[in-house]
Amino acid sequence: MAVACGGSQSESEGPAPKGTKVEGDLTLVYLGTAEQQKAWNALFGLFKEDYPDVNLDANGIPAENWAAFFDTVSTQIAGGKVPDVVQVATEGQRLFASRNLAEPIDEYIERDRDELEEFFDDIHPNLIEWNKRYSSPDENTYYLPGEFNTMCIWYNTKMFREAGVDEPADDWTWEEFSSAAGKLANPGERVFGMYVEPAYFAGIMPWLLTNGASTLNADWTKATVSSPQAVEAFDFARSLVEQGISPEPGGTFDPYSVTAQGQLAMFGGGRWPVIDMRNLNFVDEMKIVPYPQNEEKGSPVGWNAYPIMRESQNKEAAWAFVKFIASEKASEYFARQGGTIVPPRKSVAMSDAFLANAPEGSEKLYEALDYSTPIPSPEEGSVIEREIIDTFTQILAGSVDTEAALQELDQKIQSEL
Amino acid sequence: MAKPMGEGTQTKAGDPAPADGPQRATPAPAKRRHRLSPLKRREALSAYIFLSAPLLLFVVFLGGPLIAVFGISVLEWNLLTQPQFSGLENYKQLLSDPTARAAIQNTFVFAFWSVVLHLGFGLLLALAVNRAMPAALTYFLRTAYFFPLIISWAAVALMWRYILDPNFGFLPYYLSEIGLSIPNVLVSPGWAMPALIFVDFWRTIGLTFIILLAGLQGIPSQLYEAAKVDGAGSLQRFWYVTIPMLSPTLFFALVITFIGAFQIFEPMYIITQGGPGDATRSIVMNIFETGFRSFEMGYASAQAVVVFLVIMVVTLLQIRLSRYWVHYE
Repeated sequence: MAVACGGSQSESEGPAPKGTKVEGDLTLVYLGTAEQQKAWNALFGLFKEDYPDVNLDANGIPAENWAAFFDTVSTQIAGGKVPDVVQVATEGQRLFASRNLAEPIDEYIERDRDELEEFFDDIHPNLIEWNKRYSSPDENTYYLPGEFNTMCIWYNTKMFREAGVDEPADDWTWEEFSSAAGKLANPGERVFGMYVEPAYFAGIMPWLLTNGASTLNADWTKATVSSPQAVEAFDFARSLVEQGISPEPGGTFDPYSVTAQGQLAMFGGGRWPVIDMRNLNFVDEMKIVPYPQNEEKGSPVGWNAYPIMRESQNKEAAWAFVKFIASEKASEYFARQGGTIVPPRKSVAMSDAFLANAPEGSEKLYEALDYSTPIPSPEEGSVIEREIIDTFTQILAGSVDTEAALQELDQKIQSEL
Repeated sequence: MAKPMGEGTQTKAGDPAPADGPQRATPAPAKRRHRLSPLKRREALSAYIFLSAPLLLFVVFLGGPLIAVFGISVLEWNLLTQPQFSGLENYKQLLSDPTARAAIQNTFVFAFWSVVLHLGFGLLLALAVNRAMPAALTYFLRTAYFFPLIISWAAVALMWRYILDPNFGFLPYYLSEIGLSIPNVLVSPGWAMPALIFVDFWRTIGLTFIILLAGLQGIPSQLYEAAKVDGAGSLQRFWYVTIPMLSPTLFFALVITFIGAFQIFEPMYIITQGGPGDATRSIVMNIFETGFRSFEMGYASAQAVVVFLVIMVVTLLQIRLSRYWVHYE
């Protein structure tokens, strides 16, 4: 209720004249685990250097996934604790905008166009296009596209070397992948060729997209999860578990430590595994290559945005933070320090800040923007995601018939939409 | 049976003159109330002050939300925009929602097995520990059975996920070493619920056990001696002394176990997320997801009201039925 009232009140304000002093309290909520906290704090330190009069209060919520993060944020908002800026991934952008929680930023962009020109020139045109097409339910702009993740295969070169298997090429196929993974795995010794995670973005999506399928159509209005190509992709993932190439789902498998122990040859990932790989001192043994393809190249993509909340009492400071996050300085610093996400600026993603102390082939995460598909995230995404993960887990475990389970899932998704 | 029991209670209460006690006792408190000394009055005041904190907590965290839930259950409210009055729509929706129905059914299954296992094994354990054995061993066993209860659900859930892990878990591993194999329990529709019932049993059996043990220890030994003198065998002593004397404790354990089991949430949420499918979705978990995933606060509240009513009706039924088997005194 408070949200609705506050919204209409502050809507008329619009941005202050250019050059107005930015000061006061600013609260930010973001998704961050305890391990990532240090990296984030360093970034906030940089912001405070630029804006010493702003008192930034940043709260990391250590949620397991975006759905859980939104649970927490929504509850806080309902309880009257409205932050000025929230980190929102693709999975929640449309939801946030359509629920009238985010402030349109067109006027701010217009006012500071000179400062932002260089930002828009530096980011991938697809990001701008997707941000327009998917993140807003209307004509307004609510977000600047931020850091993103795509999916590639991370592979353990040491195991490839020792097993005498050739390292993969960028255009490798499912067949080549299967054959390599089969040679690398040794089920009796609990040595695995690949980890197929029972997850949505990082689990089934790359297999669907490399087979020309997806969970929803391009407008996110219709379920497509039981198409023949989708069934084939799910079956392929199941076959990896069945052959003992991938571990069984339903456990506590930690792919990173198992990789460093020499018991896992490949796993799917965006930028985020780099932190564990650094901690395990295993960065130099890892390389990154696109997912193998059956029909076409494919990867899901999801990006962050930092909406200014309608309820915010300090929109100027919030906008200053949004611009700061988009700045080259922040992008570079974050790429070097944090490293859970790919910077949206090409100049940074292709620079040492991002590529040093990271596996060879890390630039392929940025290049994947050329052929990626935004992760289907309608407003009902949180419920749908849970259903997809559940069905995928059961298919991986072999406890259901793939086609029947996917038809049921298709109907469930359709009824949610 | 009634006589020795009466004697037992009186001995414990230590009343020296039971015969005319009641006659004298009745007017006495009335007199005392009139002559409350300033000291007593101050004592009473401090008692009220001490009581006020829990009372306030009750009103703020239980009474208030309880009333609010009834109110919200007739609204359509997504938490972030204006609520709309929707009458009994949410309750109607409940009748045709297969997920909620499955969740209620699962919860009854869980509660049934939870009550049977807790009371059955709790009693067996309590009887075993109550036997004459070295004090040190009694202390050790009492602590050991109670211990899992003080571990948080999150830690217990994680621990069992590690134990049951199909790839590296030690249970599947050692079973496979001796030629046995267990299914991938946490993702198997047929095994997930039994697994959760077991994990919950493992964690909370200590509470039922301690309650029943305390009940057993409160049974005066002269009853057993008298029964022995009368020629009762061990089975008869169990059936005619232990069970009736323990019945109020058993009744208490039954009521709190059912209420606790019907509100189960943590293991479902942490270990299986309600899956596979809806196989382990409990009604409280469904309420949480309806409220904070689908943002249907009204519908979630309607479900909460139903849970409240189910627990109330079942508890009233238990109290009613207790007349036939619970012996006070």
